[in-house]
Amino acid sequence: MMKKKDDKNIAITVKNLHITYRGLKKTSIRASWHKLGSKVELFEALKGVSFEVEEGKILGIIGKNGSGKSTMLRAIAGIFSPDKGKINLHGNTISLLSIGVGFNKKLTGKENIYLSGMLLGFSEEEIASKEKDIIDFADIGEFIDKPVKTYSSGMYSKLAFAITAILETDIILIDEVLSVGDAKFKEKSYNKMKELISDDHRTVIIVSHSLSTIAELCNEVLWLNDGEVVMQGLPDEVLPKYEEFMK
Amino acid sequence: MNRFINNIRKYFKYAIYSAKAELKSEVADSYLNWLWWVIEPFCFMLIYTFVFGVIFKNNEQYFASFVFIGLTAWEFFNRMITGSVKLIISNRDLVTKVYIPKYILLLSKSFTYLFKLGISLLITIALMLYQHVPMTWHLLWFIPILAVLYVLSFGIGLILMHYGVFLNDLANLTNIGLRMVFYLSGIFYNISKRLKGKLSFVLLRVNPVAFCMNELRKVSIYGRLPSFEGLLVWLVISLCLCCIGVHIIHKNENSYAKVI
Repeated sequence: MMKKKDDKNIAITVKNLHITYRGLKKTSIRASWHKLGSKVELFEALKGVSFEVEEGKILGIIGKNGSGKSTMLRAIAGIFSPDKGKINLHGNTISLLSIGVGFNKKLTGKENIYLSGMLLGFSEEEIASKEKDIIDFADIGEFIDKPVKTYSSGMYSKLAFAITAILETDIILIDEVLSVGDAKFKEKSYNKMKELISDDHRTVIIVSHSLSTIAELCNEVLWLNDGEVVMQGLPDEVLPKYEEFMK
Repeated sequence: MNRFINNIRKYFKYAIYSAKAELKSEVADSYLNWLWWVIEPFCFMLIYTFVFGVIFKNNEQYFASFVFIGLTAWEFFNRMITGSVKLIISNRDLVTKVYIPKYILLLSKSFTYLFKLGISLLITIALMLYQHVPMTWHLLWFIPILAVLYVLSFGIGLILMHYGVFLNDLANLTNIGLRMVFYLSGIFYNISKRLKGKLSFVLLRVNPVAFCMNELRKVSIYGRLPSFEGLLVWLVISLCLCCIGVHIIHKNENSYAKVI
C-alpha cells in the first residue's frame, strides 16, 4: 500500500472507547444460581477514550497502574471487544509484541517459529522467507534445532523477540519495553526496536512506566488516568506535567 | 456465516500445523513413541472383549470387531467433548495475547482426534480381516456416517467451549453426561437385541452416538445399507448446533480474555 507522505494519514482512530468488566467473572453453576437476579458488579476500565494516531508516529501511553493502558492496548489489538465506541485501524495489520505466543515447549525452535508466526497471521511462505533472518537475529546457535524446553530463559526470550521483531506488521503495539537476554542482546534488541519503530510507515504504540524510554523513543504522548484521557501532545509538554502529577 | 468461512480459510493452515505440532509433542518424550496410538485402543478393545465377551458371556458374532467399532466412534466423541470444555482456559496464553477465532482452537484439536480416529479405523479393518468378517463395499458408508459424527461433536463442542469459559464445574457435569452416554450407547452390547420394544427404539434414535455406532456396525459387520433418513436428520440437527455455536462464539469471543 503506497500512500503519499505529506498527507496526514491516520493509522488508528479510537472513538469514545468504553470497556467494562462485568458479570463475566468465572463462576460455578451453584454460584451463578445464587446470583440470578442480583445485580452484577461493573468495573469501568475505560470511560470514553478518543484519540487518533497518524501513520508513522510513535505514541507513548503513560499513566499510573490501573489506568487502563494495557486494556486499551489489547482492545486495539482486537483481543478485547469494546463495549461502546469504535476502533478503526484503516486496514492496517497489527500485532501486539509479546513474548512467546503459542510456543510449544516440546518442539524445536525452528518449528516454533512457524507456529508462532502463523498464529500472528503470516503465511507459511512468508515465514519461510524470513526464517533465516529470525534465526540469525535470535543468535542461539545449534539450540534452534533443539526442543524449546531445553532453552535457558534468556534464549527463550531471544527467540521469541526475534520472531516478533522480524515478522513486521504496519502497527506494532508494545506493552512495557522488553528487556530480554544478556547485556549484548539487550542492546541489540533495543537498537532493533529503534530501527523498527523509526520506519516512516510504521505506527507504534508503546506503554511504559519508564519516562526516559518514552522521552527517547516517542514523538507523541497520551496520558491516561482512571480510564480517561488527561492530555495528548508532544513529550516535552506532557511529561513534565505528568511528573508533577505523580509527585 | 461468511465470517466463519473466511476465518476457516485464513487459519486452516495454522490449525493443521498446530495439530501436527501437538501430535508430535504428545509422543516426543515417550519411549514407545507413536506406537502408543496403536497400543492404547488395541488394549482397551482386549479388556472390553474379555470382560463382556468372556465374563458376561456375550455371544455377539465377531464380538471383538463389534466392540472395537463402538469404541472407535465413542473415543472420538468423548475426546471432542472433554477437550472442548476446558479448551479456552488451557489456551490462556494464546487467548490473552493474540486474536484468533476461537473455533480454530477446536478445529485444530479436532484434527488431532481425527488422526487418532484414522488409526483406530485401520485397526478396525485389520481386526475384521483377522476375524474373517465378510467385507463389502458398504464399508465406504463409514465416511458419511463419521462425517455426521464429526459435525455433531463439533457443534456440541463449540457450545460447551463457550460455557466452559464461565462455568468452572461444567467439566464435572459433562463427565457425568458422558458416562451416561457411554453406557447407553451399546459399545459392548447390542441395543436392539438386549433391550426390547420402545426402550431400544428410543435409545437408538435419541442418542446420536448410539445411532452412529449402530450404523457403523450395520455397514461393516452386517453388510447392510445405513439408514438415510436417520443420517439426514442428525446431519441437519448437527449443522444447526454448529450454527448456534459459531454464532455464540462470534458474539462472545472477545470477552473471553477478560475472564480467564
